[in-house]
Amino acid sequence: MMEIRFHGRGGQGAVTGVRLLATALYYEGKFTQGIPMYGTERRGAPVVSFLRVGESRINERDLVHEPDIVVVLDPLLSKSVPITDGLKKGGLVLINHPHSGMEAGIGGPFRVATVDATKVAMEVIGRPITNTAILGAFAKVTGMVKLESLEEAAKHQWDPRLAEVNIKAMRKAYEIANAPVDVSEIKVEEVTEQVRARKTGERDVSSWRLFRPIFNDEKCIGCRRCYILCPEVAISMINNKAEVNYQYCKGCGICQEECPTKAIGWVEEKI
Amino acid sequence: MVEKFEVMVGNKAVAYAVKLARVKFISAFPITPQTTIVQYLSDMVANGEIDAEFVTVEGELTAQASALTATAAGVRSFTATAGPGLLYMHHPMHATSNARLPLVMAVMHRGVKGMQPDHSDMMSQRDTSWMMFECENSQEILDTGLMAYKIAEDSRVRLPAIFAGDGYILSYTDEPVEIPDQGKVDAFLPPYKSNFPLLPEQGLENQKIQMEQWAVGADEQTPWKNQQDAMDSAKNVIKEVSSEYERVFGRSYGNGLVEEYKTEGVDAVLVAMGTIASTTRTAIDRLQAEGKKIGLVKLKSFKPFPAEEFQRIAPTVKSMGIIDRNISCGSGGITFSEIRSAIYDVDEHPKTLSYIAGLNGKEVRVQDLMRIGEKTLKIANGLVVTPQVEWV
Amino acid sequence: MSKPVPLVKLDEKEHIASANQACQGCAGATVAHIIGKVLGDKMVRQEVACCGPAFGNLYQPSIYAEIFEGAGAMMTGLNRAFKKMGRDDAIVTGIIGDGGTFDIGFQGLSGAAERNENLLWICYDNEAYMNTGGQRSSATTKYAQTTTTPIGEFSRGKKEKRKNVTAMVALHNVPYVATASVAYPEDFIGKLEYAKNLKGFRFIIVSAPCPTGWRVEPQYAIRVAKDMVLSGMWPLYEVTDGEKFRLTFKPKELKPIKEVLKLQGRFRHMTDDETEELQDEVTSYWAKLIQKDGGSFQ
Repeated sequence: MMEIRFHGRGGQGAVTGVRLLATALYYEGKFTQGIPMYGTERRGAPVVSFLRVGESRINERDLVHEPDIVVVLDPLLSKSVPITDGLKKGGLVLINHPHSGMEAGIGGPFRVATVDATKVAMEVIGRPITNTAILGAFAKVTGMVKLESLEEAAKHQWDPRLAEVNIKAMRKAYEIANAPVDVSEIKVEEVTEQVRARKTGERDVSSWRLFRPIFNDEKCIGCRRCYILCPEVAISMINNKAEVNYQYCKGCGICQEECPTKAIGWVEEKI
Repeated sequence: MVEKFEVMVGNKAVAYAVKLARVKFISAFPITPQTTIVQYLSDMVANGEIDAEFVTVEGELTAQASALTATAAGVRSFTATAGPGLLYMHHPMHATSNARLPLVMAVMHRGVKGMQPDHSDMMSQRDTSWMMFECENSQEILDTGLMAYKIAEDSRVRLPAIFAGDGYILSYTDEPVEIPDQGKVDAFLPPYKSNFPLLPEQGLENQKIQMEQWAVGADEQTPWKNQQDAMDSAKNVIKEVSSEYERVFGRSYGNGLVEEYKTEGVDAVLVAMGTIASTTRTAIDRLQAEGKKIGLVKLKSFKPFPAEEFQRIAPTVKSMGIIDRNISCGSGGITFSEIRSAIYDVDEHPKTLSYIAGLNGKEVRVQDLMRIGEKTLKIANGLVVTPQVEWV
Repeated sequence: MSKPVPLVKLDEKEHIASANQACQGCAGATVAHIIGKVLGDKMVRQEVACCGPAFGNLYQPSIYAEIFEGAGAMMTGLNRAFKKMGRDDAIVTGIIGDGGTFDIGFQGLSGAAERNENLLWICYDNEAYMNTGGQRSSATTKYAQTTTTPIGEFSRGKKEKRKNVTAMVALHNVPYVATASVAYPEDFIGKLEYAKNLKGFRFIIVSAPCPTGWRVEPQYAIRVAKDMVLSGMWPLYEVTDGEKFRLTFKPKELKPIKEVLKLQGRFRHMTDDETEELQDEVTSYWAKLIQKDGGSFQ
């Protein structure tokens, strides 16, 4: 039996992606068990789900603690979530990343395969929903499932128009996916899990961010609108100028949208 | 010297307990057969006998939900209900025990199938981590109400409690009840202090408590284990409080968990709760007058279930006739199965028979209890009886 | 009567922890931020199951119980206990969603209002049961798509009009009832300041768009709220003692609601007829409010 862990973001199709893969595998005679980690329905938050794949019905109902494969749907996640935790020695990481496996920021006794699924999704689908692109790459890199089966599953899941566009994304990603490389020689800093408990001191939501606000003191008139509207209470007024604490910023964009003098810039997080 | 007394109905005895306990928050909603409890309390508040916030809420769920936060905030609180009203309150039951709040509630039994009494209402809340104390007469109701607050508020317990009596049979029947002296009650039951920090300046302590209750960073099973441990501790606390009550007020109900009535040298016992236990006393008296060696074990504390008491009693008798004024359909009488489970590991344990009696208010007469007493005695002497369950 | 408070007059102190578990762009979290600011260190909060606990990491003490319907009941217990303890300086507050206010919590709301319990009920209205993934509530606007009112051959989103709970609460003759919006924080803060100094049952319902459920990009959460006010879909008003009615913001001309609906994915399916139906309703209700303005509510 194979155990796979998926890292994604709430509201970005991780669960649908896993279901698609499970359907495709069933066409090929495999049994599966897909476990989403439901917390509260929080859009943007890092989420995890699991998939078990076997030859017959799977009885284990506990969680997957030592996956054989880890799939990461968003390149920024590897910086803030310990994605290789528990991954078996020699295990495979498939990560949505614009660079090669050696430059994906992952090190250890593993193999890393990359595919720029975001680029594929933007080009083919027009939105950064990377679940189907990643599955195309999954088929190529692991050989665990045929592309045809995934396509069949897509037709089963969506109406013809949506299915077609997702199949295109799968095929494109299949083509451009990079073969796995050994990253045992790569040294990276350890990433620790953020404390998520309610009411404890330090919280860090920076991993939710795809974009970050940049505050321009010269244009800031100290009106305090961004300060009071920020849902995360991430902005303070220092010398009557707004300043953000990036640890607390989810990158929602309200501040830059609401600023009356357009004093807040908006840039993509660097991978 | 006869202390102050009054001929009163059981519902009034409940009201007196609330008054003597200096309860400061009462949430009131009527349901037969407890309605007059809240009316008596309403009168007592109106004429200044009781100094409390008396809230006529719009339903039973609110009755308990408001009483639980009042308890948390820091005042001793009370509410009462019966039958379907208790069912409606089911949602807050766990919230109250989860928050370890010593709320005390009176339940005047009303079965869930009608207006007449049986214990199905209380039993439906069996697993909510509330203590449950059953009473057989109005004096016991008043006394148990006072003891319930002391037990619940004990730092080793901190769990909510129900004190209960059969509706109609006790709620509306008049009998003389001694009313304890307020001064003695004040010494016995000191003022209540909440463990739940809720005043505006207690933000930090509040967060700490919440994290504990939500088992943040701890084994998820901890809150349950804590409640189970509290129930275990409660058994000793109940016995202590019961002894103290006897010392101060001169009355006791066995050891607070069970009472053995004329059980020296008997071969068999009947086990019963509430008013059925009361009637059984007469049956036992008559049977013993005929030379029959059978006694009564009255079960007072249903939760925590006094397993150790039954483990102590079991080897001393050859048979037990266990009377349930309740049934869990698909299984059977509830105390029947609790007792058998408690005594399973005892090397010599008695034969047992199950009697389902008094459901939906069916009258349980002395002669019925004498008959089942005789039957229970027969199996002590070797007779095999089937079926094991009899609907009386 | 409330008066808007300029943001520069606000105290620097925060009463709420930074960063929370809510979605990106959660306007409900903004509501909690503002409430913390104004009620300061006198607030004691009742929490129930809803989005609230996820975003309201206020420093002030609170009690949470899994009694979704129990806000009214539980706040009753709190305020009575504090009264008995001589501590009615504590401001018993609930930050309750529309589910716990309009639907499952409605009985408790009405009961507490009828008894004029001394508490401040703040409803953050995101027009659905968002905490469980976005099922419709009676606060949901007609025709809105939710997970239980989807768009399909046999369904055009929510069938029923929005339930006017604000008016219903006002008819309980309580000291203060007001509507507010995250897009107009000065007005909201002014209403909170006014309400906090009163005793008895006070109710403020705040328009708090949910980007996740309304299918809006997070950055537009406030903009949608603003357009709702400018179009008359969310009038800003207050009612004192069930009687005196006052609009606290009067746009000279109402923005067409078509513009507001356009921003939200949950209305993407609307036909012109359906839009016109909603527009007519908004226009006529606004006309009624203009007539009542400065006079009697009932």
